[in-house]
Amino acid sequence: MLQKREKVLLLRTFQGRTLRIVREHYLRPCVPCHSPLCPQPAACSHDGKLLSSDVTHYVIPDWKVVQDYLEILEFPELKGIIFMQTACQAVQHQRGRRQYNKLRNLLKDARHDCILFANEFQQCCYLPRERGESMEKWQTRSIYNAAVWYYHHCQDRMPIVMVTEDEEAIQQYGSETEGVFVITFKNYLDNFWPDLKAAHELCDSILQSRRERENESQESHGKEYPEHLPLEVLEAGIKSGRYIQGILNVNKHRAQIEAFVRLQGASSKDSDLVSDILIHGMKARNRSIHGDVVVVELLPKNEWKGRTVALCENDCDDKASGESPSEPMPTGRVVGILQKNWRDYVVTFPSKEEVQSQGKNAQKILVTPWDYRIPKIRISTQQAETLQDFRVVVRIDSWESTSVYPNGHFVRVLGRIGDLEGEIATILVENSISVIPFSEAQMCEMPVNTPESPWKVSPEEEQKRKDLRKSHLVFSIDPKGCEDVDDTLSVRTLNNGNLELGVHIADVTHFVAPNSYIDIEARTRATTYYLADRRYDMLPSVLSADLCSLLGGVDRYAVSIMWELDKASYEIKKVWSNKTLADSLDNANDPHDPIVNRLLRSMATQAMSNALYFSTGSCAEEEFHHYGLALDKYTHFTSPIRRYSDIVVHRLLMAAISKDKKMEIKGNLFSNKDLEELCRHINNRNQAAQHSQKQSTELFQCMYFKDKDPATEERCISDGVIYSIRTNGVLLFIPRFGIKGAAYLKNKDGLVISCGPDSCSEWKPGSLQRFQNKITSTTTDGESVTFHLFDHVTVRISIQASRCHSDTIRLEIISNKPYKIPNTELIHQSSPLLKSELVKEVTKSVEEAQLAQEVKVNIIQEEYQEYRQTKGRSLYTLLEEIRDLALLDVSNNYGI
Amino acid sequence: MAGLELLSDQGYRVDGRRAGELRKIQARMGVFAQADGSAYIEQGNTKALAVVYGPHEIRGSRARALPDRALVNCQYSSATFSTGERKRRPHGDRKSCEMGLQLRQTFEAAILTQLHPRSQIDIYVQVLQADGGTYAACVNAATLAVLDAGIPMRDFVCACSAGFVDGTALADLSHVEEAAGGPQLALALLPASGQIALLEMDARLHEDHLERVLEAAAQAARDVHTLLDRVVRQHRAELRGGHRLVLGAGFPAADPAHLHVGERHGLHHGGGAVCGRRPCPGFCPGLRRPPQEVGGSASGLA
Repeated sequence: MLQKREKVLLLRTFQGRTLRIVREHYLRPCVPCHSPLCPQPAACSHDGKLLSSDVTHYVIPDWKVVQDYLEILEFPELKGIIFMQTACQAVQHQRGRRQYNKLRNLLKDARHDCILFANEFQQCCYLPRERGESMEKWQTRSIYNAAVWYYHHCQDRMPIVMVTEDEEAIQQYGSETEGVFVITFKNYLDNFWPDLKAAHELCDSILQSRRERENESQESHGKEYPEHLPLEVLEAGIKSGRYIQGILNVNKHRAQIEAFVRLQGASSKDSDLVSDILIHGMKARNRSIHGDVVVVELLPKNEWKGRTVALCENDCDDKASGESPSEPMPTGRVVGILQKNWRDYVVTFPSKEEVQSQGKNAQKILVTPWDYRIPKIRISTQQAETLQDFRVVVRIDSWESTSVYPNGHFVRVLGRIGDLEGEIATILVENSISVIPFSEAQMCEMPVNTPESPWKVSPEEEQKRKDLRKSHLVFSIDPKGCEDVDDTLSVRTLNNGNLELGVHIADVTHFVAPNSYIDIEARTRATTYYLADRRYDMLPSVLSADLCSLLGGVDRYAVSIMWELDKASYEIKKVWSNKTLADSLDNANDPHDPIVNRLLRSMATQAMSNALYFSTGSCAEEEFHHYGLALDKYTHFTSPIRRYSDIVVHRLLMAAISKDKKMEIKGNLFSNKDLEELCRHINNRNQAAQHSQKQSTELFQCMYFKDKDPATEERCISDGVIYSIRTNGVLLFIPRFGIKGAAYLKNKDGLVISCGPDSCSEWKPGSLQRFQNKITSTTTDGESVTFHLFDHVTVRISIQASRCHSDTIRLEIISNKPYKIPNTELIHQSSPLLKSELVKEVTKSVEEAQLAQEVKVNIIQEEYQEYRQTKGRSLYTLLEEIRDLALLDVSNNYGI
Repeated sequence: MAGLELLSDQGYRVDGRRAGELRKIQARMGVFAQADGSAYIEQGNTKALAVVYGPHEIRGSRARALPDRALVNCQYSSATFSTGERKRRPHGDRKSCEMGLQLRQTFEAAILTQLHPRSQIDIYVQVLQADGGTYAACVNAATLAVLDAGIPMRDFVCACSAGFVDGTALADLSHVEEAAGGPQLALALLPASGQIALLEMDARLHEDHLERVLEAAAQAARDVHTLLDRVVRQHRAELRGGHRLVLGAGFPAADPAHLHVGERHGLHHGGGAVCGRRPCPGFCPGLRRPPQEVGGSASGLA
């Protein structure tokens, strides 16, 4: 018969009021004790596992021990563990679901000799909490009481050791009952398991980390992150120089640990900081996400940390901690976020096995963003299982200070993982590129040019414009077959003997009226995006490929600039050349190695930061210069079809001309502030265009190598050039495929590379030593191999598949000699060609897969013709469709 | 905070019960002297008081009178102090109205209304403390009160709720379990015939599981019946001194379903069933007929 008791709980509501809740609590005489020594096995009705009978004692961990030392209790050597329900509940309520699930799995695991005893439901074991008794004391008392009962229940035949961290409890209960010993966990390990070294080590490290945590958590009260400061405080702090404002930039390769704040605005002038500020760890990052405008407080100098320079994989969890970090740099912590830069994120749902570890009735699921720099996002959805194999777009809703991860919601599905179109869509979303077709309203603004009603030059425009059709010979310098020819040249001798050089640019602004629908759309797109196998136009093709394309043999509007050059001196010409940079590049060449030259050139330009657009109204004239081209002032306007910035420049030019001519000025030019905003947007889009191009190229490279077995396929082995040296590896360039990547000289197990006399490499224990332009790997046997900068090596290319992220190319040095095949030179020459071939091959295989599917459908239709089956959805067609789907999957995998 | 674990791996619920176990039930009949019938029930921490008046003449508009049967009028209210946070309005809100309607449907199906044409039976139920399963507690209290008033019924009406957590059907949900948001099913059963007076569920539950949840609720209702039966017998034993109590002739006394208790007034007409104060025919003719109306909101039943 059950006994009813009542438990009174005082809970605090969200409004802060105290709520008195009375809960029933039923006690029963018989609770399964799961012990083979049980005197009344029938009453206890054991089902599930029993404790093994060959133990010398039972051990009952106190709640605190279960909370903190669960990892040690997981050791299979420890046997006869009885987890009291009180302790389990303490874990559940105070340690969260993850640790509780670990405990549950441990209890379920048949190999592990531990059981749960539901002491709180046993009528002799249950102790009500007394008035004024702290939760901790009550839990310890309950567990001890249950331990004593258990001892007597087993007829005093098995000694019981209760391990606790509570010194008072040891004092109080230590000698109360004979046969029930109360000792500390450390003491227990020392006395009972002196040989279990791993457990002792783990125990020490847990103690250590707990001490650290205690120090840390003194100021935060159960919250995961400190609260953000209010806006007024932040603004005042920035003004006074106490805080610094900047944009958060997460290190892609150490997303968990390292982030940098790039200084922004006036604050950098006041403080004498030159470098970025390091934000070390998620806690200091305080819920800000890559790209947010954050406010940072600098930490005192003794807490500054250095950045890590070792190569490391994305999934590392501080494995490279042994490597010494570089010089300490200014380190800070985020105190507030001024502007959140949350966008749509592409994520992947955890696979089935992972979902289960997250809890079976969890409707909140942690999804992994495709971008390494974004933290995992918690999504509540019921569809986790169906969405498993797809790339999905989500949005972040909030990030509370009490939550480790941000909360978000599901938006839409992009496509299957590994599917070409899905992956391309992923790249587009990740770069915030929207490629929806132009709308009807936008297309209505476009001039018509069809065979039925061809577009013609209008008479009024003909009046206003200067006609160059008869007087000049205009020619294009774009390759043959180019669709969007936006600039052409002309040159002729004038009557006075001077040369007249003309540059003629398509007059896009004539067709794109300011603030029209198409203008707004073009402004948002800002540029034409070129991916490896396709492009997304900024303007509709009727403009970009037809009316604004200066094609041969048709009449087009253009904006022309003419220079009159002195026939002898060509005076104006010098402006356009780039002397200084070209010189410095030419000095650093290696006459024997064309690849190294190429590398040097690309590195020289890469080292410079990218040129940015800016509004002349917002900077002083001294800051106008363009570094890469070594010019004082620079803008471009030759491609209005694919760059919105050029359209802006065109409009400004036209306005300037009309002002000179005393014509009416169009009142819709941008103000300085708008222009600044626009420049920021265009710079951002340009960057997105570059990233998407790079990522799509990488995608194609990965797809190309995906099904090639690196061990056998000839194409997976290639020549590579070292172009940079890091502490645990080198960066390589593979000219044949245009791939750049890292190769490790020290693997995860701490083994280093060594190259034998046959120059084949193996992994052996040893150490690495890094110099300025070489790295030496010495094995313990004394063999050593040195890699110099710009050495040629042989590498094996393989693919590291990743579910949640893009696949990556993995390079492995298999020999320290250049790769020898008879026609090396030939391949070097054809290298750029190979890249487009690579794209073609991948595209072809995808199309083949689709074709295979279509053929199948045709067959069914033929069969219908032949057998006159009933039309409509018969079971047969349904099954056939399912078969098709299966076929598609397999062929996709095979083909790509 | 981690979500509450409603059913542990060892099969215990939050309050220590196992899946099929009921909360502790305590009941008393005849708690008020003025009313024709009254009862008080505790199901765990849910406490309800039921009072029955009638059958009496129609009060208010005569037009409401039914020519062939009695009008069952049910009113539900819950005390302002019944929940953790004080309620504003004790009765008359939508929830109370709905509950009143459900009680009415339940008891129209159970009371032999055709015995009292053009008359009215009032059932007033008040919940003093709400801790889950208020509907069930109300029905059980009202059954005892109707029995106490001596109004003939087809059978006891026993109600119980059931829920579904992690593939297991839980009987008699407490407030904590209800608040977790899983499916909850309320069932009012006529235990002897196994007929359902009312079945209600307003959450989604897969059809495959319905059978099991329904069976859990029915088993719980049968358990409730055993307990209520014991209460009635005990009450009868207490009355034996002062009041005469006669079992209806022709009905096996062992079958509690046909037990009519006429306690307070002790009226009995030669050999007939004792039915409160009203003149009563010798036996109840509609006894073996199925209930005329089975619960209106039996959702999910084919």
